[in-house]
Amino acid sequence: MTTNYIELANEIHLDVRSKKLRLMVLHALEGGGRGHLGPAASLIEILRVLYDSILVHDPSDPFLQKRDRFILSKGHGCLGLYAVLADHGYFPVSYLEEFCEFDSKLGGHPERATLPGIEFSTGALGHGLSVGIGMAIASRLRKEKWRTFVLVGDGELNEGSIWEGAMHASQHQLGSLTVIVDFNRMQASGDINSVITLAPIASKWDAFGFEVTEINGHDVVQLEQVLGLSTDTYGKPRVVLAYTVKGKGFTSAENTTTWHHKAKITRDEILNLRRELMT
Amino acid sequence: MRQKALSTVYKLAKSNPKVLFIGSDLGAGTLSSMREDIPDQFFMEGVSEQHIVGFAAGLAQEGFIPYVNTIGTFLTRRSFEQVSIDIGLHRLPVRLLASGGGMVYAPLGPTHTAIEDLSLMLSIPNMKVFAPADAFEMENLLTHLVNDEDPHYVRFGKGGETIVTENYPTFDLKPKFFGDKSSEVVIFTTGVLLQHCLEAQKLLSSNEISATVVHFPYLNELSVEQIDSNLTSAHLLICVEEHVPRGGLYTQILHEFVSARMPTKNLYQISLPNAFSHNYGSQADHLDLNGLNSVKMALKIETLLVNHS
Repeated sequence: MTTNYIELANEIHLDVRSKKLRLMVLHALEGGGRGHLGPAASLIEILRVLYDSILVHDPSDPFLQKRDRFILSKGHGCLGLYAVLADHGYFPVSYLEEFCEFDSKLGGHPERATLPGIEFSTGALGHGLSVGIGMAIASRLRKEKWRTFVLVGDGELNEGSIWEGAMHASQHQLGSLTVIVDFNRMQASGDINSVITLAPIASKWDAFGFEVTEINGHDVVQLEQVLGLSTDTYGKPRVVLAYTVKGKGFTSAENTTTWHHKAKITRDEILNLRRELMT
Repeated sequence: MRQKALSTVYKLAKSNPKVLFIGSDLGAGTLSSMREDIPDQFFMEGVSEQHIVGFAAGLAQEGFIPYVNTIGTFLTRRSFEQVSIDIGLHRLPVRLLASGGGMVYAPLGPTHTAIEDLSLMLSIPNMKVFAPADAFEMENLLTHLVNDEDPHYVRFGKGGETIVTENYPTFDLKPKFFGDKSSEVVIFTTGVLLQHCLEAQKLLSSNEISATVVHFPYLNELSVEQIDSNLTSAHLLICVEEHVPRGGLYTQILHEFVSARMPTKNLYQISLPNAFSHNYGSQADHLDLNGLNSVKMALKIETLLVNHS
């Protein structure tokens, strides 16, 4: 399965919008002098499609009751989320420059209490799915129509709590729940297969009672098609295995752990990353 | 006490659709009436404590008031990060109803005895920690605080405890006083040990030693300003708790007394040891072993008084 998707993810050429969002990520990275670039660059297209075309949401009313809930369970991908939220007008783009400053609203992991548009504070892995299941049940109890989307990392699937949540989502037949796996094949210490393999990942989710779809996580059209499919309140929860490239768009950051998280980032490194993105 | 707590949750849920019950593979008959009557408000999930705490947080974030019940050690030790982050950080009104506080599950061994639960829960910002003394106080607590916006941890006793709090028909966060305020001895306690302390008070009284018992059902802030100079001028202050020596009531008392510049020179403690027990038996066996039943408590107090005189 995955070889084909991985090749495709590598081959995708980023359009102007995807590059713009990555430039915004670099802007924050430069401001903070640190950050998780690799895990953010892999999920830009997923977030872009969610916020551009899929989610019911209103930047002028972040807690609109009928909004779809989105939880970035892999909170370390927050630079991507900050870029997309800023681009949609949830907060001024100038906030990006203050990333990780003492009194910034943008921390190294996203916080509901400080930033409009953050549904739930995350950072410790393996929390978002269970919280999202609670929200999905709340939607059902209130007889409302909003849906719940939870984005997890592939490394995050090492957490046992994810699989506890998966069993319960299936037991409750949470058709309104979508789990998206940012499958960039790298975790902090290396290739996931050298740490703890997840294979056969599609079969695993299938065995846990999910409707499984595998896609190229950088293909905007494919993301729109799959994430845009209608869902029912009751039914199999679905998981979208979105194969991506860690550090996508920045040659020196692609498929490496070097840029998983980096501190003391220099101006030259930022310039180099920008050059790589724009060529 | 557990039975009363669960029936109170059912009663609250009947009149408030926001109130939910979440269990984790509890006994088959648990709240079967509620399950049949209002099934949408009843959840019996799997053996997945990390999940049920996060699940409850998600529901609370959407406006519900989930009451989560399972064995206390699983809620505190197993789910600590979920309790701290999902509930504490987000300041969500999730109620953790902890079965088997202290040595209730002594026969089941150290994996099941909640000897450091108060310490763990008190360390989490926003978490309110309660140890009611009997079923009457339990019902009052749950009923009066149903709309409180903070997360709660509520420690259960074994059940069948004598009702001793009927003079406090409403629940507030203040300490509860039992006895004359100008006594020679002041006994500080929390939870079901109140019954044992009141028995000790009687034993001491028969030996012409006056003792006041102060029960703290709410452990975060002890309102020590209410403990007037008569109390603090007693010959002996003693803290009695079914908990490891540090991090529980004694630590809270020390913290507040020292902050208020109140004297601690005559303050002593009787508690569980700082150890996992490898004995089984009953809760009563462990209270006896550690000097926490009324007879041992009274003897200790008499000895301390002699040494002080």
